[in-house]
Amino acid sequence: MLSADIKSVSIFNEGKSRTLLQDIRLDIEKGKIYSILGKNGSGKSTFIKSLTSLLPTVLYEVKGKVLFGGIDLLQASEERLREIRRNKIRYVFQDAANSLDPLKKIRYYFDLSNISPLKIEELLLFFLLPTYKKLSGLHSYELSGGMAQRLLIVLALLANPDILILDEPTSGVDYAVMNLILLKMKNFVRDNDKSVLIVTQDINFAVKSSDYIAYLSEGRLTKFFTSNELLESPDERVNNFINSFKEMSNASA
Amino acid sequence: MPLLKVENISYSVIVKEETKKKFDILKNVSFEVEQGEIVGICGESGGGKSTLAKVIAGIIKPDSGEIILDSEHQNNKRKSSPIQILFQNHGEVLNPFRKMKNVIDEALKISITDKSNLQIEREKVLSSVGFPKELYDRRGMELSGGEQQRAALARLLAVKPILLILDEPFSAQDVESQLNLVKLFKQLNKEFYITMICISHDLQILRNLANRVIVLKDGEIVESGLTKEVFTNPQKDYTKFLLSAEALDLSYEELKARNM
Repeated sequence: MLSADIKSVSIFNEGKSRTLLQDIRLDIEKGKIYSILGKNGSGKSTFIKSLTSLLPTVLYEVKGKVLFGGIDLLQASEERLREIRRNKIRYVFQDAANSLDPLKKIRYYFDLSNISPLKIEELLLFFLLPTYKKLSGLHSYELSGGMAQRLLIVLALLANPDILILDEPTSGVDYAVMNLILLKMKNFVRDNDKSVLIVTQDINFAVKSSDYIAYLSEGRLTKFFTSNELLESPDERVNNFINSFKEMSNASA
Repeated sequence: MPLLKVENISYSVIVKEETKKKFDILKNVSFEVEQGEIVGICGESGGGKSTLAKVIAGIIKPDSGEIILDSEHQNNKRKSSPIQILFQNHGEVLNPFRKMKNVIDEALKISITDKSNLQIEREKVLSSVGFPKELYDRRGMELSGGEQQRAALARLLAVKPILLILDEPFSAQDVESQLNLVKLFKQLNKEFYITMICISHDLQILRNLANRVIVLKDGEIVESGLTKEVFTNPQKDYTKFLLSAEALDLSYEELKARNM
């Protein structure tokens, strides 16, 4: 569905350029959930932004190809890209609440989606959120972090995109909300025409949710593993990361 | 006599000005903390964990109940509170335009009597949290999230607290940083005998850090006891729910049965 071959992503600062990501390949197939694991600052968010030319060109240079629907997203016009980001490839960024304008009521976003309240209500119900009527009248700052995260996913799903990209969906949310997101993502790809790409440092969530997982560090991505392959991987970088988790799981106070 | 006694703390806020309708955030919360302990407080968002921390630190005045600190530690000469909180948004706590050296010195001047020792004390407190020397002259905005957190922690330690409250210090950090932080807190607890209360919704962190754990739900203590016992043999449904939610094994029906 989407095939990315990113040769490099560089950032310019005071006339100097620094390479952030190198030789990253990603092929997203229909009906699958992919996770990219990595520590803070490993470049996960930069990578997903590079896929649809979201990185400002005054600062970043992206070399490579991202093929989606027969076009190269790195060469596409801004107008075309906006259309794709609105309807085909939807992002839910970290710190969901900050993606909403605090001066606008939630109704504004519901209206923007052009979807019937009945259909919206259905999704709100699934995510155990307040009713359409109640939410419509609220401002984003009146929502808890977990509610905002769920609402942002609802808004993304309303567009019925082909690919949903989630940036750290579990950060700052309860386990119960994580459970809900996990169930919905599985549901979303079940009919084999949608896909999900998750970037996270939460190995448990990645293992529970994903068909394929890769590890990003020092600007390079490993190949995609199944959950079992990942846990058994001989790759030293992957191993070190997993060992931190094991240490956390085994230790006691 | 325990170091800290939390007795029947209740706290509510008015949600509707016209009708004076109240919402109870804390309901009759009581527990004790012994000197040298690390006590964990867990529960879901909105359960009252952070409010409880603020009440203990004296930032919020409860409607009723008492916070009693062992009189042995009541020192009238203290110029700072013996209970300090490391807040979640530590980055916003440090002045972005001031050098870390000056931030720490300011706090040290409150607690030390002999000012000629300032430099030694500064190095002592900054090295105890693993804050590198080459960053002393950096300003708040020039530090990474992890470095800011260590600096904020050093500033709290500089006033020599008796009880340190950690409010979700681990959120938004990768597991390696979390592990380092757990080790750091344990070391501070051991070396300086600082008693700690750690608030976290992350049960795995509390397993690693806390000897004892309190489960809070809708402002009430549901269950408490040794961390190992509570988490391996939970008695209450809510604790059982938290544990199966942690494993990401809940079905939709189980989630639906709960009011989120």
